[in-house]
Amino acid sequence: MSRFDPNPLWPALGIVAAVAPISVTIAATYLTVEAAQKALFPAADSFVPVVIALTDDEKRAVVDAAGPQAPHGELRAWAAKHGDDLLGHVFVDNVIGREDFITYAVGIGVDGKLRPVEILDYRESHGGEIRNKGWLAQFAGKSEQGQLRMRADIKNIAGATLSSEHVTGGVRQILAIWSVALRPTPAN
Amino acid sequence: MATRLSTLWKLRLVAGAAGLLAAAASSVASAATQEELEAKLNALSTQVAELRSELAALRAQGAQSVQGAGSPAAPSPVQGPASAVSVGAAEGEVGGVGKVAWFGYGEFTYTRPEDDRPATTADLARFVLGAGYRFDDKTRFVSELELEHAVASADDPGEIEVEQAYIERRLTDRTFGNMGLFLIPVGLLNENHEPTRYYGVFRNLVETAIIPTTWREGGFELQSNTDGGLRWNVGLSTGFNLSKWDATSSEGLEAPLASIHQELALASAGDLAVFGAVNYTGIPGLRLGGSVFTGDAAQGQPGFDDNRITLWEGHARWNPGNWDLSALYSHVHVDNTAPVNTTLVGNPTLIPEAEFGWYLEGAYRLPLRNEMTLSPFARYERLNTASSYAFIGAGLTPDPLDDTEVLTTGINFDFARGVVVKFDYLQFLHDSRSARFDVGIGYQF
Repeated sequence: MSRFDPNPLWPALGIVAAVAPISVTIAATYLTVEAAQKALFPAADSFVPVVIALTDDEKRAVVDAAGPQAPHGELRAWAAKHGDDLLGHVFVDNVIGREDFITYAVGIGVDGKLRPVEILDYRESHGGEIRNKGWLAQFAGKSEQGQLRMRADIKNIAGATLSSEHVTGGVRQILAIWSVALRPTPAN
Repeated sequence: MATRLSTLWKLRLVAGAAGLLAAAASSVASAATQEELEAKLNALSTQVAELRSELAALRAQGAQSVQGAGSPAAPSPVQGPASAVSVGAAEGEVGGVGKVAWFGYGEFTYTRPEDDRPATTADLARFVLGAGYRFDDKTRFVSELELEHAVASADDPGEIEVEQAYIERRLTDRTFGNMGLFLIPVGLLNENHEPTRYYGVFRNLVETAIIPTTWREGGFELQSNTDGGLRWNVGLSTGFNLSKWDATSSEGLEAPLASIHQELALASAGDLAVFGAVNYTGIPGLRLGGSVFTGDAAQGQPGFDDNRITLWEGHARWNPGNWDLSALYSHVHVDNTAPVNTTLVGNPTLIPEAEFGWYLEGAYRLPLRNEMTLSPFARYERLNTASSYAFIGAGLTPDPLDDTEVLTTGINFDFARGVVVKFDYLQFLHDSRSARFDVGIGYQF
């Protein structure tokens, strides 16, 4: 069941989001959320915040599908839209790299395929190799957890092993959340 | 501002709810027909649904997060895997400003020489606790405190060491400046020396005897990386102190640089060193790199002059599929050793002018269920801690050592994220008596 609710109140909430103060995370972020949204869905003309409420069964399904996870911080989600058409979803997640959070964005099209991952911020001196565009491009086009196995599908970065493992796990979790909560229901 | 907006919305919701109740009461009182009552109730249901959506959206806006059902509105900033779905943190907490982060690693080892049972040992080889503290979004402190061999006292073999303690300052998006006691960016192990990061119970011999892992110096370092996968480091630091060479002990031939490193313990700093490293990871699964460290080790000490020590190395690591292949070559040269060695003639261990080591390693990471991994591996190493001596006269100049060749085979079993059990067998190819069997347990968190 799709949890995306095209509620008429969303435009008003979009305004709230636009005027809300942007705190430390964003101040320290070198690729902004807005820029990441646009990079993931250039054709979108609006990004509408999405509320997701998972049942216990859905949470279990996510944990089972995503596998073991490093500690995460906040996760936010938006629906990328062109007019009334849904193009996909954007997630901004925080996961521990080596000792501090990596902020990264994941885009999933309505077809369930991932876009290249975008790193919004990497806060440590060691492990910054994870911002390598070639590594991030490995995620593009993948649509199942079985295609996101570390090393077999997503190459490790020697010297940034923890960061690459943790982001890969995080993408698996986001794909699982999308799958149980946001995947569009097929038209009958 | 968000709080004020949120309060306004809440007031509006409360007012709306009160209005609805009043309207409902009024509607019931004046309802003329069942049909009208149903219509009113339908309208109320719609309005209640709208308000519930509005409230949920406001809560989400306040928490800035995707919430799991029934999860608290303001959970802790870092949550474990079990609750990973219901993540949520105040934005200001992300990045841990003002928070202390704890981490650590350790290893237990059991070593059984094949032909020397009395030399069998079991050891809590390392117990390391680290703490990091973020002063602001650009400035961080990183430290590691290590206890080797479980007990450190005058009568015990243990040592307590500060392995790292530095301030890290973000200068630009990609460039960091480090100052304090930090790890030298050399080889494949030195900066990634935790037991979960390498194959075998002990670190490889080349990156122990030739490169003195865990090698740290005090000073300043700049490092950066590019989108294309190029990382570079340059720095100015303390260096070695050749006057620490103990010609009466064989320690200098087991690990020459480790016997004269200073570890920022009242280090002689009359001469400083410079270093640089480049690593390329632009092709996923491949790492190519090299580094140079050079500095005078005379340190102005009497009898020592112009004793520059230069270490350089090149390394590669490649992960095709589940394979993990590594190679490294390292070379060390010490300048002007002849005048010093002339004064040491008669002692068993003079100072070599060159040493080298290289290895090839191959592992296959066999994935099991629940991210468990079984990794059989083999490593061939060839090294020489005294491959040449400066000439100090016929009959006085020591002969170079023979190369040491070691074949290590074993298995790493990663059975939980950050926990590994290891088994290996070492064969010294020109000294069958030195063969040994090792078992280890390592962890990192």
